[in-house]
Amino acid sequence: MNSNFIGVKTPRKDALAKVTGREKYAYDIYLPGMLYARVLKSPYPHARVKKIDVSRAVEMGAIVITFKDVPDVMFNPRLISTPDTTYKDWRVLTDNPRYIGEPIAAVAAESEELAQRALESIEVEYEVLEPVLDPIEAMEEGKPKIHEKIMLGNREIVVERNIACRLEIQEGDVEEAFRNSDLIIERTFKTNKCYHNQLEPKVAVVNPEPDGGLTIWCTTQSIHNTRLLISEIFSIPVSRINVKRLPIGGSFGSSIQTNIVVPIAVALALKARRPVRLAYTKEEDMYEHSSFQMIFKFKIGVRKDGKLTGGYMENIMDIGAHQIQAYPLLGTCAGWWVSLYKLQAVKYVGVAVYTNKIPACAYRGYGNPQVTWAVETIMDEIAEILNIDPIELRLKNYVGEGDIFWGQGPTVKSIIKSCGVEEILRKGAELIGWKNRPRPGEQKGRFRRGVGMARGYHTSSAGSPIPGQVIDYTGAILKVNEDGSVDYITAMVDQGGGTLEAHAKIIAEELCIPLEKVNIVQADTQTTIYDVCTHASRGVYAGGGAALNAAKQVKKKLLELAARVLDAYPHTLKIRYDKEKKQGVIYVEGADGREITIGELATLARVKNWGTIAAVETYRPPACPPHFTGYFVEVLVDTETGIVKPTRVVIGADVGRVINPDLAEGQLHGGFLMGWSRATIEDLKYSRETGDIECRGFITDYKMPTVMETPTEIQTFFVETFEPTGPFGAKGLGEGAQNPAIAAIANAIYNAIGVRFYELPITPEKILEKLKEKEKIELKIVEGV
Amino acid sequence: MKIRIIVNGVERELEVEPNELLINVLREKLRLTGTKYGCGIGECGACTVHVNGEPVLSCLTLAVEVDGKEITTIEGLGKDGELDPIQEAFIEEGAVQCGYCTPGFIMTAKALLNEKINPTREEIIDYIKGNLCRCTGYVNIVKAIQKAAEKISQRKSK
Repeated sequence: MNSNFIGVKTPRKDALAKVTGREKYAYDIYLPGMLYARVLKSPYPHARVKKIDVSRAVEMGAIVITFKDVPDVMFNPRLISTPDTTYKDWRVLTDNPRYIGEPIAAVAAESEELAQRALESIEVEYEVLEPVLDPIEAMEEGKPKIHEKIMLGNREIVVERNIACRLEIQEGDVEEAFRNSDLIIERTFKTNKCYHNQLEPKVAVVNPEPDGGLTIWCTTQSIHNTRLLISEIFSIPVSRINVKRLPIGGSFGSSIQTNIVVPIAVALALKARRPVRLAYTKEEDMYEHSSFQMIFKFKIGVRKDGKLTGGYMENIMDIGAHQIQAYPLLGTCAGWWVSLYKLQAVKYVGVAVYTNKIPACAYRGYGNPQVTWAVETIMDEIAEILNIDPIELRLKNYVGEGDIFWGQGPTVKSIIKSCGVEEILRKGAELIGWKNRPRPGEQKGRFRRGVGMARGYHTSSAGSPIPGQVIDYTGAILKVNEDGSVDYITAMVDQGGGTLEAHAKIIAEELCIPLEKVNIVQADTQTTIYDVCTHASRGVYAGGGAALNAAKQVKKKLLELAARVLDAYPHTLKIRYDKEKKQGVIYVEGADGREITIGELATLARVKNWGTIAAVETYRPPACPPHFTGYFVEVLVDTETGIVKPTRVVIGADVGRVINPDLAEGQLHGGFLMGWSRATIEDLKYSRETGDIECRGFITDYKMPTVMETPTEIQTFFVETFEPTGPFGAKGLGEGAQNPAIAAIANAIYNAIGVRFYELPITPEKILEKLKEKEKIELKIVEGV
Repeated sequence: MKIRIIVNGVERELEVEPNELLINVLREKLRLTGTKYGCGIGECGACTVHVNGEPVLSCLTLAVEVDGKEITTIEGLGKDGELDPIQEAFIEEGAVQCGYCTPGFIMTAKALLNEKINPTREEIIDYIKGNLCRCTGYVNIVKAIQKAAEKISQRKSK
């Protein structure tokens, strides 16, 4: 398909501000006359505040708030699920801290130093309570209760055995499926708790307005949900709260929910009647959010010919001290499982458990990387046992075109209409040299090479033909300016992947105007229509869908006006992009000279008083099409140190039509390294003695990959399909770019050393330990002979 | 305490506290927010600036230490409204995603290319290992620095 902009490499508009240091992130916002805020946090994982004395802080001139000064409202900081499926157990500040780092009180003062001194002067007497750090122990009778009563929607519910919520799903007769199986494989997996480690720490700057309203600059993936939540907590009309859309210094899911700095800064600003800036340090940021930790039990049945029959999955999730999206995640984990491979019968039991740890939230992939790691490990094992090529086994069973896909748990489903899985796997296998890979565990010597693969996908949006339990719609406003340029107004946040750039290209393509003539407007909640959130890899697919429909509306109006000038019928007019004129030209086919540029038409519309050509589009994505990826990884394991290095990586992706080729490739690069990190490095370990994370917030002790870990060769390719429900055939990418990485790396390590790991991360220590065990067993076998 | 510094070519006289950090002086007193706060403990490199041409982590540097010295921040790069070749290359190679680490990387790369016109890939990797990026996997950042080196060489040979 010929395109002017779609699939063409173009420099992204926001790069200029970013490379010159002019881009303003929330962390860069300083207001005249503002106060600096600091937060007092619980030093205990589980406690009750018996007494709090803030008098010295007040004497020092600080504005002080404690749990007594904030609205008595229980909330959930994430507003993406429908109200009846939203579990609420948060307060802005608490007298009953449930993790180390939970905010108790906050101060605001003329300088950060004074604020810190004021904070340190606050005296708190705690009743220290016994913490629970293990989710299995937490469910035992007689264990300390982390929450007594919480809210589900508007209904109060009693928490039993620290179970936050649960979800069971059954389709078909699993026992019969197992009876019809030749092989049943049972495995338990444990994932790691990871810190998002986005570079920009969480921050909120709040300006109280004269009418009692607020203007807010903060780290967020959803400006409208931030506004709704602040309205809900503080009973301020939605119209009086304005949240600014800003670029965000990475997020990876950590600002889907409104970060706790926002309501705290709001409470301080309302009390001080002055602007307040609350900027977390990196160490504080690590106590604000991290990923869910999961224990999976799988039982999968398969026939001799490699056809899967049925499966059982148990998912026990450690959610930390509060619910953000535990319930919907129980649903998506089931969905990620059943949408990988076809099973005639499935049974799923998901239990989310409270512990006295940092509240867990979504982290790029929303459970998908973890589920895919487990399932793709099992697939590898089945292939080996049945002596079937792992790629053929996957092709025999995968969920593909025409099948039902669970995009966001059991209530968000649609039928797959574009699928490049087979081509991804065939081409990837060829590029990595799949046929020449080592046989597992047969190598001797210090350095052992391994090649592994895994496939995966992620949804593109949480859209579907029926409403479901997840809110997903967005909007776009488009207006043609008097010189023929257009202003594009959206609430959607660009997390850095180039989402808004893709929208601009879609608009330019549809209107046949130069890309530089599409202006992405600085926007806020007052000037935009609703968008739910930049999550679920929906930016290009859902946001781009809205942008395209708005452009179609504008195009129709342009043609109607052009028809007056050209004395032709609107529906017969054509539009083309004229590269020389750098303009869109509307013309009558076959009638030479009957043409007008969009710029001329817009100018004329003003002179003739025809009005502004503009459109408003509110858009519900009709489906949740999966984008597919396949990972092929070669590693080198040093059996003396246990250190694994990625030596070659091949990643194939079907993202429908590629909009931004270089940015799409960048998603795959970043996806690999983040997956590498989650597979081999990161682990937010808790000390049982202190109830604190061992690294205590310091990234010196919470390593993430540097450029040294980047493999010298990452080869990427796109298998272009056409998604009929997507803008110009496009689907999402951000999460699928990473999802199979952990699994492929784990399978490569197995291929190198013949040892499987069922607990993440796969660290050098664990590798050495397992190699020792393996050697002992092998030695015994030899001795026995 | 009073310090005199030259920031991006402009002489400044500033009143600073003995414990005040350079990053805070740049960001809060001079509103040069292109120098980013990432970790505050010298681990991420987002706050990299040049002091007398040397790359320095401004979050670990006291303002009084730079008294009498010349400081260049990301805002001071490029001449006469034109981008520095490194900035151009970062745009062209898709090395910018969220962009929060970008100023630090560009300042580090600038110091490298000032020291050495044609660094090898290994030298680039070694030089930028103190800068963290969570988005790009570093692939396009390395490419951009390689391209910038080529651009600079070409311009010098003209």
